[in-house]
Amino acid sequence: MPISLLFEQILNGIVLGSMYALMGGGLALIYGTMRILNFAHGEFFMLGGFFVFFLFAGAHITPFLAVPIAVLAAAAIAAGIQRSTLAILQRRDGWLFATIAATLGISIILQNVALLLWGERFQSVPYYIEGTLAVGDIRMAYQRLLILAVALCSLALVGLVLRYTRFGLAVRATAQDQEAAKVMGISTERINTATFAMGAGLAALAATMLAPLIAVNPWMGLPLLLKAFVVVVLGGLGSFKGAILGGILLGVIEAVGMSMTSAEWRDVISYSVLIAVIWLRPWGLFGVKER
Amino acid sequence: MLEVSGLNVKYGDAQVLWDMSIKVGAGEVVAVMGPNGSGKSTLLKAICGLVAIHSGQIKFEGKDISSMPAHNMTSIGMSLVLERRRLFPSMTVMENVMLGAYAKHARDKTKERLAWVEELFPIIRERRDQIASRMSGGEQQMVAIARGLMSGPRLLLMDEPFLGLSPKMVSAIVTLVQAINKRGIAVLFNEQNVQLSFGNAHRGYLLESGRVVLEGAGLEMLQNETVKRVYLGSH
Ligand SMILES: Nc1ncnc2c1ncn2[C@@H]1O[C@H](COP(=O)(O)OP(=O)(O)OP(=O)(O)O)[C@@H](O)[C@H]1O
Ligand SMILES: [Mg+2]
Repeated sequence: MPISLLFEQILNGIVLGSMYALMGGGLALIYGTMRILNFAHGEFFMLGGFFVFFLFAGAHITPFLAVPIAVLAAAAIAAGIQRSTLAILQRRDGWLFATIAATLGISIILQNVALLLWGERFQSVPYYIEGTLAVGDIRMAYQRLLILAVALCSLALVGLVLRYTRFGLAVRATAQDQEAAKVMGISTERINTATFAMGAGLAALAATMLAPLIAVNPWMGLPLLLKAFVVVVLGGLGSFKGAILGGILLGVIEAVGMSMTSAEWRDVISYSVLIAVIWLRPWGLFGVKER
Repeated sequence: MLEVSGLNVKYGDAQVLWDMSIKVGAGEVVAVMGPNGSGKSTLLKAICGLVAIHSGQIKFEGKDISSMPAHNMTSIGMSLVLERRRLFPSMTVMENVMLGAYAKHARDKTKERLAWVEELFPIIRERRDQIASRMSGGEQQMVAIARGLMSGPRLLLMDEPFLGLSPKMVSAIVTLVQAINKRGIAVLFNEQNVQLSFGNAHRGYLLESGRVVLEGAGLEMLQNETVKRVYLGSH
């Protein structure tokens, strides 16, 4: 394989990986804060896809508005769902299993609602920008560069918020010890809702970015959900930073692996990575052994 | 200042506190003594709203707080240092301490409070950037108490503040509690050791399986025949 082709594959891997990072980062944020494995994560991704389809492909609203509106709408729906289901379950004892069942249920309901409202047709969204950047032998569609830039900027923004704001401090405290956080005067219920919405918003953002490359449909979330699980395990359960690195790494491994085999091998590659990590480093590639 | 009356608490069907009544007066140090599982922690958690109460009343400075959510406790002037310190393990000492001043009302006074707390606990300035979980138990306890003071409480609740500490650390914490109390802050603490609890309190309560079985002035409790027989093993 010529070196420029390899380079292009790696670049493609990073672009796709940045989407895995958005998905996985959101999932890790939710898991890290409230210890809930959100099986409905793929459906918030799907909502983001449909919303941007209606706003941009349907109503021709500029992506500068369509994308934020789609993301905020999905996040708001997530907040409402969290309040009316998970928040109530979490107040009870032995809620852990119940929340798994609940997020699975939410996932199924959202899929079916989407199917009823919007049908099973695969919808396509046009590119936000046309054209291709060519540097020497390496070619990259502007759309892909846009995806990468949006993902990296938004992940950095979330990282900065978590690190430097009062809200971020409260999220980190809640993640480390919900009871102690309450004693500090933090309304952990509000933090849980906000974090859930934020995680779902990241998933929706990934969909708005990927929509021009993949078809929008009620089931579009599942493959990305599975990738997000791989990413979260790679990065160390519940670690936001780990999920970002894990996502990008997974994207690159997939892309390079596929270029050496073929496209059908993609999922085999990522699950092999998952199994290898669970086997050799169950605390994740970037996690620390003891918690 | 704190009045708990007729408190009953259940975990599911299991009742763990029975018709419990205790009081803390302004400026007082009050000890709650009892063996493992007698309900000491549950009592403090019920006062703070961390566990729901089944029946009874909790009043703080005349206000009924029986159904107040836990996260409002710091803003009414009460603060809890949880059992086993419960620092946020991967945060620094300073982040932990600053979280003590998270409540809205406490934010404006953060600076003065920090200065005061650093004077009481010099370790906070010395170790400000150390990760909390890498400190010794005694050091963590100091940070936990400092964090509890950052909201400017008038009543400080402490759940077994001496648990697992060396004798030297225990006496250091005792001295600090006295210093805190001298500032007019009332203290209610749990402890399993008779001498440590009643010996360091104005008044004390003895709990057994979720009931108050004895109460009185600290020194009286130390002299009490039952206490001596059962808990000090003397005849
Ligand atoms: N979350 C809970 N769910 C069910 N039962 C509980 C719970 N927490 C405590 N208990 C039970 O309530 C009783 C009182 O427990 P509590 O922790 O208040 O005792 P304690 O006096 O603080 O004990 P220790 O000295 O060990 O800290 C015990 O029998 C305990 O098993
Ligand atoms: Mg206890």
